[in-house]
Amino acid sequence: MKIVIATPLFPPDIEEPAPYVKTLAAKLTPTHSVTVVAYGHLHERVEGVRFVTIDKRAGRGLRVLQYVRGLWAATRAADILYVENGPSVELPALLVSVILRTPLIFHLGDARAHERAQKELFRGLVERMVSARARVTRAESPLPRPEILPFEPYPAAALAAYTASWDKHLEQLTQDIAHE
Amino acid sequence: MNDIPQKTAREEWDAYVREERTRAEPILRAHGYALDDDQPHTLGERYLMQAVTTASGRKLILLGHRTSDGTRVVIKVTRDRGGVQELQFERTARAMLKKIRFAYDVFHTPAELLFVQESGLCIAVYEYIAQERSFLERPVEEQFALALTSFKAQERAHATTASHLREIRRVYESFDGARYLATFAGFIESVRTSAPPRPELTALLTRALETLTRDREVIEQYCGFLTHTDFVPHNIRVVGETLYLLDFSSLRFGNKYEGWARFINFMVLYNPPLAEALITYVAQNRTPEETVALHLLRLYRLGEICRYYVHAEAKSEGDVRTLNGARVTFWSAVLESVLNKQPLAPSVREEYIKLRDSLRSEDEKKRQVGLH
Repeated sequence: MKIVIATPLFPPDIEEPAPYVKTLAAKLTPTHSVTVVAYGHLHERVEGVRFVTIDKRAGRGLRVLQYVRGLWAATRAADILYVENGPSVELPALLVSVILRTPLIFHLGDARAHERAQKELFRGLVERMVSARARVTRAESPLPRPEILPFEPYPAAALAAYTASWDKHLEQLTQDIAHE
Repeated sequence: MNDIPQKTAREEWDAYVREERTRAEPILRAHGYALDDDQPHTLGERYLMQAVTTASGRKLILLGHRTSDGTRVVIKVTRDRGGVQELQFERTARAMLKKIRFAYDVFHTPAELLFVQESGLCIAVYEYIAQERSFLERPVEEQFALALTSFKAQERAHATTASHLREIRRVYESFDGARYLATFAGFIESVRTSAPPRPELTALLTRALETLTRDREVIEQYCGFLTHTDFVPHNIRVVGETLYLLDFSSLRFGNKYEGWARFINFMVLYNPPLAEALITYVAQNRTPEETVALHLLRLYRLGEICRYYVHAEAKSEGDVRTLNGARVTFWSAVLESVLNKQPLAPSVREEYIKLRDSLRSEDEKKRQVGLH
């Protein structure tokens, strides 16, 4: 499958969903063709993943237009558009998904953006429109990777739980992708 | 060779301290503050110090108390133009931190009790933060946790969009990959033209610049983060689990590992297990590019400290000059070990500490008490 992941954040950004998206792209790559469309400047690399990076340092209007263009080009031949929440991505993704008729999966990976969408009329409207367009909307995320700290015992159990949470998440995602 | 003899520089400093105190005392008295008789921060090698990378002017850091209730205070006094700018910048930087998206709760600030500009003097009075024990007197596990918490807090402030950059550029200095490289090239030129000649150090720095240039993109990749360029124990106080940041003049937006690099390099001398723990943490928990970024910024900061002591050596005489020469040799050895990705031989550190302690003046030893 050809999957496009549309995200507002990608490492070196540190806030969620940046780490989540990077891990997701790495985990999907062995079985799918993955393209990440992200705002950024010099993103971290993931072997086998294609990137379309929209420079955040441009003015807001211009960078959203550039994002639409980049997402459009990446999604034309895609089977699935996987969208992380956040207004700077939701609007372009909605537009591209509707016009290209690309199935959309919506992930609410940025809890803070989701919270703001509950409080602000326009943001809330956009989020609801994307959700209505989506094949499925998921709020669950895998556990964050536990840290290995030099003066503490190796977090074997926490790492096992982390791996298990990703297995479960990918299993769910596989079903969502395969859903007709 | 710099021809300013140590005695002259020292005497000039002592005269400066006396004059500034004489000017400041009546102003402070009028505002309800008095200076202590004992002023440890004017002693020892303080006269040789000056910031290398941040705009820093000449200023005094004095201890005193509020006359009404005896509350202990720290007083910064300057009439130097650069010093006034630094104190004003610190004020603005503190205020700005509260506005930007940043875990401000992590860094507490000593309360500003007075800020006046009178009779050509700029005076800032801050609450004195007493701590039961210094940072280095704490268990290494606690030191690690405190350092990690504060680095993570700094990293949360990441300026990426055009509006972020516009906002921070009004207040903070901003370094990108090109500026790091240009500044490092300046270190080399400065060492190359200093006396006594140090061809080996110049060659080492040139090798470091080649490494920095080769991985320039990695330096740039992690720029745009808030970083404290002098995050070392004497610029923080820990009370319970609360961390107070004392120096806001060294905050800038740059590579997120610059603060880590300064701290780790410092700990190579003062607490090698902590330095190792932080390097291991980055290797085990961050991306490979970040390990490279940390390595590069360590080289950058080591180049800076070598240059600093090359200059300090030229300005000093007697034991202090011998000590500054030993510092250049020690930090060059650290730079070489980092460049070669080899551990520093423990004997290099041990011999340096032994020599340093034998050469430090009594005043300097007094100034060092509880400093870190």
